[in-house]
Amino acid sequence: MSAPALSARGLARHYGGVAALRGVDLDLVPGEICGLIGPNGAGKSTLVDVLSGRAPGSGGSVRLFGQDITGLGPAARRHAGLARSFQRTSIFPALPVGAQLDLALVGPPRVLLLDEPAAGLTAEESLALADRLRELARARGVTVLLVEHDMEVVFRICERITVLELGALLAEGTPQEIRRHPEVVRAYLGSAAA
Amino acid sequence: MSGAGRIAAGALAAAAAGPAIAALVPPGVLLSLLAQACIYAILALSVGVLARQNGMVSFGHAAMFGAGAYLAGIGLGAPGLLPAEAALPLAVLAMAAVCFGLGLIVVRVHGIAFAMLTLALGQACFEAANKARGVTGGADGLTVALPREIFGLPAATFQRAEGMFLIAWLAMVALAALAALLARSRFGLLTEAIRENEERARFLGYGTVLPRAAVFALSGGIAAAGGVLYVLYNGFVSPETVHWSVSGSALIMALLGGTRTVWGPLAGAAVYFLLREQLVEVTERWLGLLGILLVLVMVFLPDGLSGLPRRLRRRHGAEA
Repeated sequence: MSAPALSARGLARHYGGVAALRGVDLDLVPGEICGLIGPNGAGKSTLVDVLSGRAPGSGGSVRLFGQDITGLGPAARRHAGLARSFQRTSIFPALPVGAQLDLALVGPPRVLLLDEPAAGLTAEESLALADRLRELARARGVTVLLVEHDMEVVFRICERITVLELGALLAEGTPQEIRRHPEVVRAYLGSAAA
Repeated sequence: MSGAGRIAAGALAAAAAGPAIAALVPPGVLLSLLAQACIYAILALSVGVLARQNGMVSFGHAAMFGAGAYLAGIGLGAPGLLPAEAALPLAVLAMAAVCFGLGLIVVRVHGIAFAMLTLALGQACFEAANKARGVTGGADGLTVALPREIFGLPAATFQRAEGMFLIAWLAMVALAALAALLARSRFGLLTEAIRENEERARFLGYGTVLPRAAVFALSGGIAAAGGVLYVLYNGFVSPETVHWSVSGSALIMALLGGTRTVWGPLAGAAVYFLLREQLVEVTERWLGLLGILLVLVMVFLPDGLSGLPRRLRRRHGAEA
């Protein structure tokens, strides 16, 4: 296998005495859309924060196409090709639209971390967004890590799914494997998936 | 006309208005007041630049203003060391450099905490000006004798209202034009984006500390330029110039005029000085009346007086 697009080893993050991430390993295959799911408080957003450089990790390392980016800030990671979205819509409220586009100077990202892009959309819109996302990822060859609550969206477009629980990796596999994984069904999907 | 062309045309028209005002206003108290108003307008401009580009409210800009005045005064007091023509710009550049270094630290602090930090730093400078008697003359202040000629102009030109009004007016117009050009440049746009959403700017790939520190340096340099004119005009600078109440006055001018536009603080300074002149005739509690006016402006015109045209246009548009 070629170098992973994004590779995390032993990522940890503590808030005071609480461990939000306890040594997570993650590899994104170039060009794939990988789903990241888990119950509330599993550490999904924390993982995206540490991967994107928004929050410092308490331990572990992150590599982007083999380059160690562990010590880099968000701006430097963006230049290296790693971009992220936010749960809350995030714009510059007082600037005109043209100015907002002028500011997007860095080229398209190679790895995209999407934090609940379908939040606030109807079921129909979510599926339309999922299809657009799949098209974009294929057309541009972008690797995507998709954090999403909407299982339909995740199962529709992700080739692989990673499940977090209590800050640790619970399971990893194809959508079919994850659907049948007994631990996942117990921890997260519950009776809804049965 | 392009934006830059409009700014240049506006600046030229404003510059030409200076001699006209000087010719119309009889020499005397009023012209002296206008000269002072222009000098403090430059200080208000510097406060406004920081508020507009960085979204930061400073309670300590008198420190930059006063330090510029002291540096220029000390430089003028040692003519063997440096010619005045070098000492004056050097005072401005030195303050800009100091503010850049300081900015690398303080622009990481936001909101009320930043305001309090500037207040504390400003008062520390006030204390330093009081205590460092050997350099600043302490509470007695520093009396500065100007050399016979500066930039080919006789010293008296700088110390007479007619001369200083024109010099300060032109400096004010030039600095405001510089600030306006910078505001509409890519750099200005970037700092506004950071002001609106610093995290988003970082995730677009922009470092955010350097641009904010550069704005802080620009603001400090403009304030120091005002201080240099102050010491030239008065031939004297004392710790009172560095006192927080001077920072407060500059902030009131900037807020009265409004900081959404570059020229707002200039208008605020004009209103402040002319109104004060009228109010002191009526009551010695003029500051209270000014405070009430400031409250009214903040409530009914949150963008300040310079926001008035926009507001009227919008109301007019709504009725049409």
